[in-house]
Amino acid sequence: MYVIDQQAISAQKTHDLSFEKGEYSTYLTSTFPIVEPTYSEFIPLNLLRRMGKAVKMGIAAALPIINRNQQLDGIIVGTANGGLENCIDFLNQIVAYDEGVLTPTNFVQSTPNALAGQLALMTKNTGYNSTHVNGSLSFENALIDAKLFFEASTNITSLLVGSVEEISSYNYHIDLLAGRYKKEIISNDQLIQSNTEGSVCGEGASFFLLSNSPEHAIAEIVDTTQIIHPSTADLTTLMNVFFEKNQLSMDAIDLLLLGKNGDNRLDYWYDDFQQIFPETPAINFKQLTGDYRTISGFATYLGVQILTGKINGAHPAFNTDFPTNCNNILIYNHFDGIRHGFILIKKGTR
Amino acid sequence: MSKVFVTGFGAISAIGNSTLEARSSLINGTSGIKKARFFKSNYVNSLLFGEIPLNDEEFINLTNSPKNSGLTRTSLIALAAFQQAITSANLSEEVLSSFTTGFISASTVGGMCYTDELYKDANLHGEASEFVRSYEASDHTFQIASRYNIKGYTDTINTACSSSANAILLGARLIQSGRLDRVIVGGADSLAKYTVNGFNALMILSDEACAPFSTDRKGLNLGEAGAYLVLENEASANKKKKYAEVIGFGNSNDAFHPSATSQDAVGPVLAMQKALQVAGISANAINYINAHGTGTINNDETESTAFATVFENNPPPYNSTKSYTGHTLAASGALEAVFSILSMENNELYPSLNCQAPIHTFPFQPIQSYCKQQPIQYIMSNSFGFGGNCTSLIFSKCM
Repeated sequence: MYVIDQQAISAQKTHDLSFEKGEYSTYLTSTFPIVEPTYSEFIPLNLLRRMGKAVKMGIAAALPIINRNQQLDGIIVGTANGGLENCIDFLNQIVAYDEGVLTPTNFVQSTPNALAGQLALMTKNTGYNSTHVNGSLSFENALIDAKLFFEASTNITSLLVGSVEEISSYNYHIDLLAGRYKKEIISNDQLIQSNTEGSVCGEGASFFLLSNSPEHAIAEIVDTTQIIHPSTADLTTLMNVFFEKNQLSMDAIDLLLLGKNGDNRLDYWYDDFQQIFPETPAINFKQLTGDYRTISGFATYLGVQILTGKINGAHPAFNTDFPTNCNNILIYNHFDGIRHGFILIKKGTR
Repeated sequence: MSKVFVTGFGAISAIGNSTLEARSSLINGTSGIKKARFFKSNYVNSLLFGEIPLNDEEFINLTNSPKNSGLTRTSLIALAAFQQAITSANLSEEVLSSFTTGFISASTVGGMCYTDELYKDANLHGEASEFVRSYEASDHTFQIASRYNIKGYTDTINTACSSSANAILLGARLIQSGRLDRVIVGGADSLAKYTVNGFNALMILSDEACAPFSTDRKGLNLGEAGAYLVLENEASANKKKKYAEVIGFGNSNDAFHPSATSQDAVGPVLAMQKALQVAGISANAINYINAHGTGTINNDETESTAFATVFENNPPPYNSTKSYTGHTLAASGALEAVFSILSMENNELYPSLNCQAPIHTFPFQPIQSYCKQQPIQYIMSNSFGFGGNCTSLIFSKCM
């Protein structure tokens, strides 16, 4: 499965590639919100007024890709929570008006499949359309969904696949109550070393045009796998099975992208995981965006930018020595130390 | 490419805590749509619901679950149906934990079914509730995967009302690809203020029992259910009872409107045609259709148009079992697949209820009475949802 094109909306200026050119934004806030593009460039104003943030940023990430590439046989989205702000707005209406007469806009916009549906609507795409809402594994699930089509050599040759998550007061409060966020305000470039409990809430949208053909590919998404509640031994077994299945030696990995989020209760998973790849350099990515459920979509975007040489170790966001000519990158991300996802990407032909 | 067999199933809905009970209700034309006893909402006085006749505590006992452990009603409903399905297919603990066993569920409301707790937690009113980590759509999937130590592929799908049909579709493709040997697929949704108020705001709820495909239909009734099927590849299903084979599936987007289907039924027609194409059979081979049939003005008109197009004005016998259970949202695709398999297994067709005056613009009408000794080789099950998501599935009888 090959990456033909990609676009990300994130807390860094990825939307216009300023980030790739070396601009690194730092934040000293309780959440790390995205740099918002000019939505009206992509979305008619009458539609824009009704849309929640997740739908807006998803469209802003997806439409440039669609505009650059005509062929599109379907749309697959991974999102743990979809449009949460609309969700809480509707919930608050239910309570405030004691289940009285309510307007349906928030309800319709809050459903997680609203983005994939809206993208189909805006592009008149009647092809395959699905939304995975499997928490932090939603993007990995969306990738598998796409890969199955290409493996089965169906007439589907080109798919738009992406992930989106928004910051809302709703998820911020709930995850704060659940102990997932830091009590102190911390700068994003100090996040990984913070050594306190919790992480910082982020958001973002990353979309990819995936194809069954290596022609014009900027990268290959070789495979992805996942596990829930593993033991450390399970991770080793899983990696052995995964690499054997993909006929790749573990030594072939040039770089690990690790989802360390600065939560001192959970980051040991990544240290343990590195033991499986003792010689391989590793970088972290959550200092760029904070943490959110479907951030592995952004990690994949970043990995592809590294494979294509658009980002290297000299970038101020990393400032570390990693190989300038990477061929294989393995992304590892977990959430709560419970759901663990892995994505293997490879340099493309272009 | 391996074949995909259904080797077990389980379901719980307003017409039965088991598939045995459900079948008896379907034969007798006994609907589960009535006044809700347990659901708490202002609308319980004015609307009818397809409520499962168990309160949360009874559910905890039924599923042998610990108390106060953050299990929402959606998770409890899912657990009950999941347990039936794995028992039915005789899956051992060891098999459930294999890397090649997957679990794909679906839910729309997920953990948001406890609207009041969610409201308090989301607005920081006091201490965290028991459910603070349980609100995600995928929480029920996660709870079940944790309890049964599932280590293989897990997924949760939300394509609104076609969610669990897409779980079945994806499960079948995972088996065909060789990635999985077996997968439990289905979905669950509980009644929730959130959905009731949403559908009410869209003005598509009926204050009477729904009347799918009837001219005088006024809208849908919301229901709750959990339903799962066990799909296995040929090797894994060897020597097991094979209730059906999944032979066709089609997914298409109507690309027309966020919460309505198009007049010319673009999405539904494409979904059905793709499913027939994948199955490699012609439309006239289908012996029975379990329609989406929500009972709304929009859906039943569109679906009838799609039948007219795909089946050239002559569709096979069809019914809407939502006239028994109400619309169970993410669970409906799997629930109706289970009902379809019951039909096929027993060579019988169940009546569609409350269709007093079939839509007169079409020269066909749903099944009006119970029919025995109906040979059924191929069945089609339709699910259409908000966001334009349309899915059609085709099952074949195993010889």
